[in-house]
Amino acid sequence: MNDPLESQRGATEKRPRQVFELDETGFNEVPPRYRRFYRRWKGAGDSLAPNEVKCPVCKVVIRSRVELRAGDRVYCMPCMSRLEVVDENGELVAKVLY
Amino acid sequence: MSGLDDPHQLDASAFHRTVHSFEFWFETVEGYLHGREYGVSPATREVELSEHQRQSLITILCNYCVGETAALDASSGMIGFAPDRLSKIFLSTQVVDEGRHLEVMLHRLAQLGIRDPEAEIPQRANRSLLKFKERLLDFVHASDWEAAVLAQNVILECMEYTVFRYHAAHADPITSEMLSGVVSDERRHMGFGENDLGRRLIAAPHAHERLLKIKRELDPLILDTFSETMGELGIEPASRPDLASEYLGAVARLGFQS
Repeated sequence: MNDPLESQRGATEKRPRQVFELDETGFNEVPPRYRRFYRRWKGAGDSLAPNEVKCPVCKVVIRSRVELRAGDRVYCMPCMSRLEVVDENGELVAKVLY
Repeated sequence: MSGLDDPHQLDASAFHRTVHSFEFWFETVEGYLHGREYGVSPATREVELSEHQRQSLITILCNYCVGETAALDASSGMIGFAPDRLSKIFLSTQVVDEGRHLEVMLHRLAQLGIRDPEAEIPQRANRSLLKFKERLLDFVHASDWEAAVLAQNVILECMEYTVFRYHAAHADPITSEMLSGVVSDERRHMGFGENDLGRRLIAAPHAHERLLKIKRELDPLILDTFSETMGELGIEPASRPDLASEYLGAVARLGFQS
């Protein structure tokens, strides 16, 4: 029997990733060439795009040039953390890799 | 955009080399400190404070100075027994940050009319924070890397990060801008602590029990300091920022039970 969740996950993995053009966000806590890869979390009312995940250590939003998927590795330069994107109840979150 | 500028394409060792470096630090702090004398833009204007507000702010800043002095003394001492060169380089950037924090806070105290901060600070210092400082420096003098990182870069920095962010959002414009620059530095100090300790606990899980005892000894001191600072800020317990989201979150990720 086919597991619908497995089928959905398989379809997501096969679909090409969306590509994002990263603009400046006003974030100024890393060297200029890295700034567009981060932005500040604006609090209640803010939401994450498919290429974004929130750092659990310092709460900065980490941005990627491509849509993020479970298993991706990203870096939070403002707090020096290495992170893995994981699927938690259908939501992508970042976990620290020590 | 060059793929070379994509931080997520770095391998782990290149990432660590980059974020621990003085080069990274120079370009980072330039972003939020350039053109800001003592951490404040020339356009930011003083607002009138009531005498009660002024006295509260002086007490809070005196205690921030105790915390920053503790971090300055500790981080400079830790360079001598840091386990690797990247950590020594990172700590040297932290020493500069802590020295700057102390300087901008002393400058703010002078603006508030404090002529002799060396006399004023001990009179207004929280006893628990002084005890915390004493224990932190005990770990440094014993060259106990894990305990010093836990006390300074996890416990003290997480508390400061939470309190400064909250205070910056509610303070007068000059204090707020000064604290915002400090918060940006604290991100690195706190992240260094959690990541360094996390790696060490994986390599030496037996250290966990010893560090848990130290954490249990230090928790009441830091929570009392947090509570007193929130009281000085006039924040009722029900409205206080959630220290759990920062400090307790960090220690939980490291596997410590509260």
